[in-house]
Amino acid sequence: MAAARGCLCSCARPMLPRLCVGLVAGPGSLLRAAAYSTALGVGSAGPSQREVAASRRSRTSQIARNRRVPGAPRTEKMAVDQDWSNVYPTAAAFNPSSVPLPIRMGYPVKRGVPPPKGGNLELIKIPNFLHLTPPAIKKHCAALKDFCTEWPTVLDSDEKCEQHFPIEIETVDYVSAGPSVRNPKARVVTLRVKLSKLNLDDHAKKKLIKLVGERYCKDTDMLTITTDRCPLRRQNYDYGIYLLTVLYHESWKTEMWENEKTEADMEEYIWENSPSQKNALDTLLRIRAAEKITEVTREELLGSEMVENYKTSVVVLKNGETENNILQYKESVMKLLNLRA
Amino acid sequence: MLRSVKGVICQGPKLDSGYFLHASARAWLSAAVNQDAQIPAEKPRAVFRTNESNPANHAEQHEGQHYSIPLQEVKVVFPHGLPYRFQMQMKTFNESCLMVRKPALELLGYLKSTNLAHPAIRYVIYGEKGTGKTMTLCHAIHYCAKQDWLVLHIPDAHVWVKNCRELMQSSYNKERFDQPLEASTWLKNFKTSNDHFLKEIKTQQTYMWSKRESTEKGRPLGEVVEQGLTRVKNASDAVGVVLKELKQQCPLGAFRLLVAVDGINALWGQTTLRKKDKSAVSPEELTLVHNLRKMVVNDWNGGAIVTTLSQTGSLFKPRSAYLPHELLGKEGFDTLDPFIPIRVSNYSQREFESCYQYYLDRKWLQHDRARTEEGRKELLFLSNSNPWQLERISAYL
Repeated sequence: MAAARGCLCSCARPMLPRLCVGLVAGPGSLLRAAAYSTALGVGSAGPSQREVAASRRSRTSQIARNRRVPGAPRTEKMAVDQDWSNVYPTAAAFNPSSVPLPIRMGYPVKRGVPPPKGGNLELIKIPNFLHLTPPAIKKHCAALKDFCTEWPTVLDSDEKCEQHFPIEIETVDYVSAGPSVRNPKARVVTLRVKLSKLNLDDHAKKKLIKLVGERYCKDTDMLTITTDRCPLRRQNYDYGIYLLTVLYHESWKTEMWENEKTEADMEEYIWENSPSQKNALDTLLRIRAAEKITEVTREELLGSEMVENYKTSVVVLKNGETENNILQYKESVMKLLNLRA
Repeated sequence: MLRSVKGVICQGPKLDSGYFLHASARAWLSAAVNQDAQIPAEKPRAVFRTNESNPANHAEQHEGQHYSIPLQEVKVVFPHGLPYRFQMQMKTFNESCLMVRKPALELLGYLKSTNLAHPAIRYVIYGEKGTGKTMTLCHAIHYCAKQDWLVLHIPDAHVWVKNCRELMQSSYNKERFDQPLEASTWLKNFKTSNDHFLKEIKTQQTYMWSKRESTEKGRPLGEVVEQGLTRVKNASDAVGVVLKELKQQCPLGAFRLLVAVDGINALWGQTTLRKKDKSAVSPEELTLVHNLRKMVVNDWNGGAIVTTLSQTGSLFKPRSAYLPHELLGKEGFDTLDPFIPIRVSNYSQREFESCYQYYLDRKWLQHDRARTEEGRKELLFLSNSNPWQLERISAYL
């Protein structure tokens, strides 16, 4: 094939008209032409071969001559106090000759080191934030400043912000280069509010938590409502505010069926009227009866210190069981039943 | 597959060492008799053994030491109560040695100071898997048996809520189900341990078993047990009658009753049994469980109720669960409340040393490295001082 190509290239030049015969026919015919040419005579074959070889060498040297010699990498020309945002003004792939850092990345060869940055695909594949250095961000802020209003000086701490603006609204704007500026994700609105800022009593708070379910986080006392059911952002915001209003008013109301709340629905353990209280009182009454002390009343027993102690230990145990809780429970039961260790 | 192979390997050395031990034990005993005067031979014994075989006299100084129970007593007191591996160990070593540990001493202290006029106090022994809860319970049972209490021992309540082949509808109450096989096994073992009591206690009312069979008022309780054993169909009801009679008569003071239940969390959990229409059977629909639940309520006096929580045989509970509320569930906790929880944990340094010396003395650890300090450290590390784990590892050595 190389020989055929060589032949074709040499045919391009006007110096060898002999081999132009088989030009259009294809490689098979060229070979035949070549065979034909060799059959003509040794003398004529020799110079053609030499000329083919010579043309090949000169062609590669021409390619070599035409090939541009790469200059020094940019890193060598960088000043120490240069403006980095000129090197990476936008998000761009990692360029080893533009980044003057001796970074190594990749899995090291046996008893070797990670490969250097030159031609390192691993460094090019990963996203980089070379375009977002602090000076670059400062420039972004300076550019955006003209479009911003002043931050109110009164709100200088997080607590003051929370106090004056308890509801936080989160919206996201999307910018992309494309035929349309619309993005359906931009209609999502997230409303966040702390329940301690709302005026709720005990029953209202429990009812609200039951109504919202998973949207409430107990650790941060934050209610998060995310709406995206309307096509426009403004509509979603209105709907979110409406939901908050409805939840607040509904949780203050008490329905008739709420008095059917069973023990399984309770959020926390209440000791009054629980089997634990009954058992404890029964046991104590029986002990007193055995000792022939009959003047003791239930109220007196309920108010006594050891029953209080027992009550706290049971409540703590029911809410969360740990070794310590059980030891406390054990001590309180021993006091209750008058057992000595 | 692997498990069965392991089992074979386990059996192998045991049998050999068993025969070997017989000869060596006899020789050793005779040697000990001859060398009575030699004190140094006794000293290594004293670390892990004590001669005090009456649990009533066990005190803090015996902590960590093994005491042996004569095999005759074991047959009477524990017809069905010792863990399976312990029974195999008993057969191999030809002696049954229990370690005296702190939780057991605590429990014995409470039992000694029980006020028989007060309602029965409930004790719940809990702890991680394999720490010795059942053995603590057995220690308490031995004490009570020695003190001539009537011991009502249910070896494993989990057996009653799973793998029942014959589930019959109860004749007494249409809603409930009988388990004839389990009930008759239990009655047989109960008879072995409490024969003399059964002759003395009389029934307080007449019980009709069928149109022709009945037990009159005033007959000894042993007859009820016989009825249950001969007519297996009525076994569960016989168990119910026995429990009811004992509960009624114990406050009168003729005897002291110890209710010992192993794996009490089975009574309030779930069962794997199914009715004919494939719906699940809940525990209270089983006669045996229903009657036992009535027994562990503290509306009677004149005894004590000692129970253990067990995750090992339990159904639908995760392996890491060991705290009372986790295993008992809400219902169980509310029924048993107020109770005294007793914690059993892994071996302490002293106890581990004692157990290790015991195994060495019984020539159970055959490996050469087992005697060295390194071997001991390795055993400590591998078992993490967990008694169950230590026993299993030592079986391979």
